[in-house]
Amino acid sequence: MKFDPSLPEDGINVSRTNLLREALLLVGGVAAIAIAVAFAAAVAVDLVVPHIPIELELRLFSGWFDRAAKTDAAVDPREQPLAKLLDRMVGHWPECPYGFEIAIWDTPEPNAVALPGGVIAVTRGLLEKVESENELAFVLGHELGHFRNRDHLRGLGRGIAFSLLLVAVGVGGGGSAVELASLAGQFAQRGFDREQEIEADRFGLALLAAEYGHVSGAAAFFEHLSELGGPGEGALASYFSTHPLHADRIQALHGTAHEMGWALRGEQRPAFSTSR
Amino acid sequence: MILSNIETVPGKQITRFFGVVSGSTVRAKHIGKDIMAGFKNIVGGELKAYTELIAEAREDAVGRMVREAESLGANAVVNIRFSTSSVAQGAAELFAYGTAVTVE
Amino acid sequence: MDPQVELGVRLGIPLALLVLAYFTGAAVERRHYASIRKCELRWRGLPAITLRTVPPSWKVTECTLITGSVVISVDYFKRFLAGLRAIVGGRVKVYESLLDRARREALMRLKQQAVEGGYHAIVNVRLETCRMANARNSESIAGLEVLAFGTGVKLLNAP
Repeated sequence: MKFDPSLPEDGINVSRTNLLREALLLVGGVAAIAIAVAFAAAVAVDLVVPHIPIELELRLFSGWFDRAAKTDAAVDPREQPLAKLLDRMVGHWPECPYGFEIAIWDTPEPNAVALPGGVIAVTRGLLEKVESENELAFVLGHELGHFRNRDHLRGLGRGIAFSLLLVAVGVGGGGSAVELASLAGQFAQRGFDREQEIEADRFGLALLAAEYGHVSGAAAFFEHLSELGGPGEGALASYFSTHPLHADRIQALHGTAHEMGWALRGEQRPAFSTSR
Repeated sequence: MILSNIETVPGKQITRFFGVVSGSTVRAKHIGKDIMAGFKNIVGGELKAYTELIAEAREDAVGRMVREAESLGANAVVNIRFSTSSVAQGAAELFAYGTAVTVE
Repeated sequence: MDPQVELGVRLGIPLALLVLAYFTGAAVERRHYASIRKCELRWRGLPAITLRTVPPSWKVTECTLITGSVVISVDYFKRFLAGLRAIVGGRVKVYESLLDRARREALMRLKQQAVEGGYHAIVNVRLETCRMANARNSESIAGLEVLAFGTGVKLLNAP
């Protein structure tokens, strides 16, 4: 038995691989998987949601927001006229199965939110910024649109699916992979969120047209928002924000109005209160 | 290439010996199989996907070990041992090593 | 925070770490391999075999257990890629070099022990691999330990 001190060929146990190409492949692969799953989930949710009965939805969301809680001890005097305006708008939606309530939030940023269960919240900032009743009516109509389209259920469904995806990725891959999948999934979902907003706008327009005969309130509202300065104009920002760029919504507004034959200009009634 | 996990090749003589040669691979199964295995954890039983994974890895690792032996000019690898270890979440390393020798 | 800035920070920090890790990791690995190859050439004359029985021509005067071990960690870039690979499946190429380095380094340290002790050969070499888990998160790999051990023998006539 003789000893031979030769050394084996180097590098047999290491695959010659270009790290950057591997990185590109893997990142692309995982992002594609996340986007595909997010899309599939959103489509599935959109198919299922219309079949969920209203009673179930009401029972699911009851108690999420305490209807009786008010942020201010003093009752805002604008609440009554606002509630009456809401009733007039709801009047144009005969099949409406919900009972609605108005809440006024004491925050300076203009915003309006549709809360699951039947509460529409409007901020003090919004009430001060609107210049006519028509604009306010459009805002309420938009929120009513969210209820009509069952957007809360859709959001809930997509949220659940997204969380499951992230858990699965976490089990398989660990922290950074979850970050990547989360970004990709959010990117995919933004498209669906934007679509929801435009659909809610469409319903708001229909209610406006039914109440006033024209949709000038919507046009005026968007003009005001543009003046206030919305989210950044960059392409990236438009994808990663839940509300589409105002330009997109304005375009959709003009498109729908033109399609349905609604006038964009018309007489605007003064808002019930322009000062506090 | 003769492979054996005993110290000699029966009926032949070792004329020359080289040193330790080894082969290793690290493999992972994709996440779908991981999730199915997660379910299997509840009922118990053979995790077919992982068995396959290890078997593929083993073939690969032995192949690399043989290539190292060939590059030395050996015609047999004796006293082969295997070692499996979990390198990271969802990835397993299979490592095979033995002594490269020339037998006649 | 402005959503664009927030997004930039969320993406930017890990990305910067990845880029840093890619370059420094590659440099560290290159240097390590250079040192490993140098040692392998230097000590190629010291036989290390996995056989248990000593070749009949050897006359052993002394023998003892000797070991060599190393713990190596992989850089952040490779860890990130390995995590992604665990989702997609297939061969985790990025860890192959880690294991190769760790193993060869452990063997070199074993030989170094033999040389320092004056042993002429090592028999019954065994290799054991073990994963060191990160204290915080047991899923991520903090480092890999490879232990090489065997019986060092002193011979009357060195092979």
